[in-house]
Amino acid sequence: MKTLAILKYEWIHFIRSPFKIVALVLFILASVYGLHNGSDLFKTRTLEIDRIQTQAQASQADIIAYYDKNLKGPSDRPWVDVSTPFWALSYSYVYEFKSPSPLMVYGVGQAEKYGYYKRITNRSSPYDTDMAEEIANPERLQTGYLDFTFSIIYLLPLLLMIYLYTIKGTEVDTGILPLITVQATRTKLWLWTRISFYFILVLSILILLLFYGAILTDVFNNDFSGFLNYLVMMLLYLTLWTIIFGLIINYGSFSITNTLKMVGIWLLFAFIVPGSIHQVVSTKYPANLMIDFIDAQRDEKDKLYSLPDSIFQQKLNEKFPQILNSIVMKDSLKRNRAMNESAASLTNDLTKKSLKTIESSYTEKNKLIKSTYWFNPITFFQNRFNSITQTHFDDYQNYRDQIQSLVDKQIEILVLDIWGDVQVDKERYLDYINILSN
Amino acid sequence: MRQIIKNEWRLLLRHKILLRFCFCFLLILILALFLSNQQHRAQLSTYKIAKDELREQWESIDSMNPHSAAHYGTYVFKPSNILTNLDEGVNGVTGNVLRVEGHVQNEMVYSEASQMMSVSKFGKLKASLILQYIVPLLLMFLAFSTVNSERQQGRLKTLLLQSTSLFRLMISKAIAIWLFGLSLLGFSVFIYTILNFNNLNAELFLRLILFLISYGLYYFIVVGLTIFLTIYFKRPLIALTTMIGIWILWTVFIPNIVMSSVEKWHLLPNRNEFKSAMKEDRSKGIDGHNPSDERGKALEEKVLAEYKVDSLSQLPINFDGIRMQADEEYGNIVWDKHFGNLSNVLIEQKQKVQLFGILSPMLALKNSSMGYAGSDNIHHQAFLRQVEDYRRIFIKQLNDEHAYGGSKTGNWGWKAQNDFFKSVKDFNYKSTELKSVWTYYLTDNIILLIWSIVTILMIFLGTKRMQII
Repeated sequence: MKTLAILKYEWIHFIRSPFKIVALVLFILASVYGLHNGSDLFKTRTLEIDRIQTQAQASQADIIAYYDKNLKGPSDRPWVDVSTPFWALSYSYVYEFKSPSPLMVYGVGQAEKYGYYKRITNRSSPYDTDMAEEIANPERLQTGYLDFTFSIIYLLPLLLMIYLYTIKGTEVDTGILPLITVQATRTKLWLWTRISFYFILVLSILILLLFYGAILTDVFNNDFSGFLNYLVMMLLYLTLWTIIFGLIINYGSFSITNTLKMVGIWLLFAFIVPGSIHQVVSTKYPANLMIDFIDAQRDEKDKLYSLPDSIFQQKLNEKFPQILNSIVMKDSLKRNRAMNESAASLTNDLTKKSLKTIESSYTEKNKLIKSTYWFNPITFFQNRFNSITQTHFDDYQNYRDQIQSLVDKQIEILVLDIWGDVQVDKERYLDYINILSN
Repeated sequence: MRQIIKNEWRLLLRHKILLRFCFCFLLILILALFLSNQQHRAQLSTYKIAKDELREQWESIDSMNPHSAAHYGTYVFKPSNILTNLDEGVNGVTGNVLRVEGHVQNEMVYSEASQMMSVSKFGKLKASLILQYIVPLLLMFLAFSTVNSERQQGRLKTLLLQSTSLFRLMISKAIAIWLFGLSLLGFSVFIYTILNFNNLNAELFLRLILFLISYGLYYFIVVGLTIFLTIYFKRPLIALTTMIGIWILWTVFIPNIVMSSVEKWHLLPNRNEFKSAMKEDRSKGIDGHNPSDERGKALEEKVLAEYKVDSLSQLPINFDGIRMQADEEYGNIVWDKHFGNLSNVLIEQKQKVQLFGILSPMLALKNSSMGYAGSDNIHHQAFLRQVEDYRRIFIKQLNDEHAYGGSKTGNWGWKAQNDFFKSVKDFNYKSTELKSVWTYYLTDNIILLIWSIVTILMIFLGTKRMQII
């Protein structure tokens, strides 16, 4: 039997199998639903970021108006003086955003577990309580989001299973396999050609779905390489399951035993292996209660504040040697205030030190998870997909790092301007915004 | 009937592949329970260390202004419930740490899920993962195989000649397989009980029984439906694949679609909107830190009139503390309003999800499993409520000390002493009792019960139309 003839008969068999058509329709519906979920989240977040940016710009305009009118600040807050670097920076309304990637249409990954906007002040940290994730139903978070990646990772193997379980098995069940052997030049070729038919069919559907998703968030214009990466990863995943199921059929016999083996492998890779690893990781590294961070935020900070002025000043000088010959250093009246207003630079160091330990524990956890990839393909692919859609843990770690570097930058400007006795005017205020927004 | 059940069991025990499979299953189950227990202990120890450390820090405050202490605040950690060894529910995705301080009601942060990369979409290897996903599949195959083998080997006719009805025969088979499922369930609970023997109490025992009943009903539905499909379809493969298809719909498809959809039907506010609305409402109250605030002035006049004096300096107490407490009380009303609305939406979402149990009894099982394990959102919300109640008492104590502890208005340098800080009680979580939340799970249990009855009816109708050749 020629390859083309095998493919033709498989097509006829496929279109005459309502069960297989229904499975495909359900898969497409779930995938389209997932794509819209991803697209909705992308759009919601983009809109929210735009809204916050507009609010921030309005607030900045209010401050600019104080400079124009020669006012020190809001009338109900007489202690505020925006002509000082401390208050000008406090009212700079600078935000750091984790802008969603248009590829989020394919997968929301871990996006829902983290906050995605953060107002930066000199006392901010990437683990502040305002970094809580978006309000969501915890039971929904626990079940997970039905996104396109979910369809690929969990539903795709099931769809393949539905397509492949009868191959060879039906012939064995009904005793007509010897007839096939007589007709086909090579049984294996017959078998793998039939399997390839479904591989091509499913791949075509997936590519169409990918294109549909790309239209929803304009992926081609925004991140074409990301699209290609996703496509390649999807192809690899499909190939993996096709080979696994193909081998089961190749070495198996009856349909029922083949089905049981396929379901068993799917259960093993989708539930048991990832679940066991998750359990082991949580046992070895229980949820971090952030005690080091809390200590740095409260007790360590209090200890720092209770240091004698001379030691406090010495610490500041060590951190910013530039201030040693500054104007304020020579003015004893201004020095105390400058020291108080510069305290954030030292408390920031305490916070960063505490976060090092915490983040290294995260790294250890992740290392352990990565070391299981060779027998845990679903977790591997899930994380690869998350990386491509920029919703991976590492993407949010980078976001936290960016927050930290922006805080550092703001503190540096604050200290140098305070000790340089800079009078903030409209121009300098706009400079602050520009420097911190870039 | 008893004879048929006995006979089924005898056949099951003779099945070598099945015995091997059961052995593997039991090993995985023991491993799951053991690891869960270890994890619980590790988490409990981390929790205890953190709690003790924070309390020690609080008690070692030598002297501090009470309002500064309100800003210094404290932290509450979410304790790990012993039943989460069976079903972790939402605990992995909700935060673990909540900062308790003056002026603000913070949210729980630092969830376990945010501290690592993605591992398992269906959660950790807890007993619930095996009991919800794996055992039903095993029961499905057993139920299919028991009816199918009778059919294939032509024994049905012989059995019917031995003066039993087809319905009795099928229902007995269903009961036999169901009892097998129950024995696996019983084994899990037995191992769990041994591992946690010291912590058993009446409440826990009741929850375990209800947990068992929910799973028991679900297993009966799965077994009964498989038997119905096997007798309904002439081709065994169609019966088996239809049942696997139903299982996929029930466990993977419907729960995800329903959970994603209810959030669209009953919208939750986004964080920014929510915070802005709360800020807006709060700005209508007293600003504790702003003496020139108009509402603050009105309160001032009221207090001056109460004490029959003309100025704050003549007051024998510290008005700043009273203003702070008035600010807090207004903030509490605002919190109750906004979080009350949020909580209502979450309850509406839950009720809608529960109704979809009519389509997928797995949803009903998941809800009741988490509920009886004390790890669903209802229990989480109850925990948050307790923390907020504690926060109110905690801050009031500090504000009262500020107002009536001996200082005068404007004396921000005044400090309360260590004895006072030691007298402020620590947060002690009281587990939510089942009697206060059981009504939430009534719908799930009724749905499981209805499904069980419908399954019996389906077997009955299926046997009526079945042709014995």
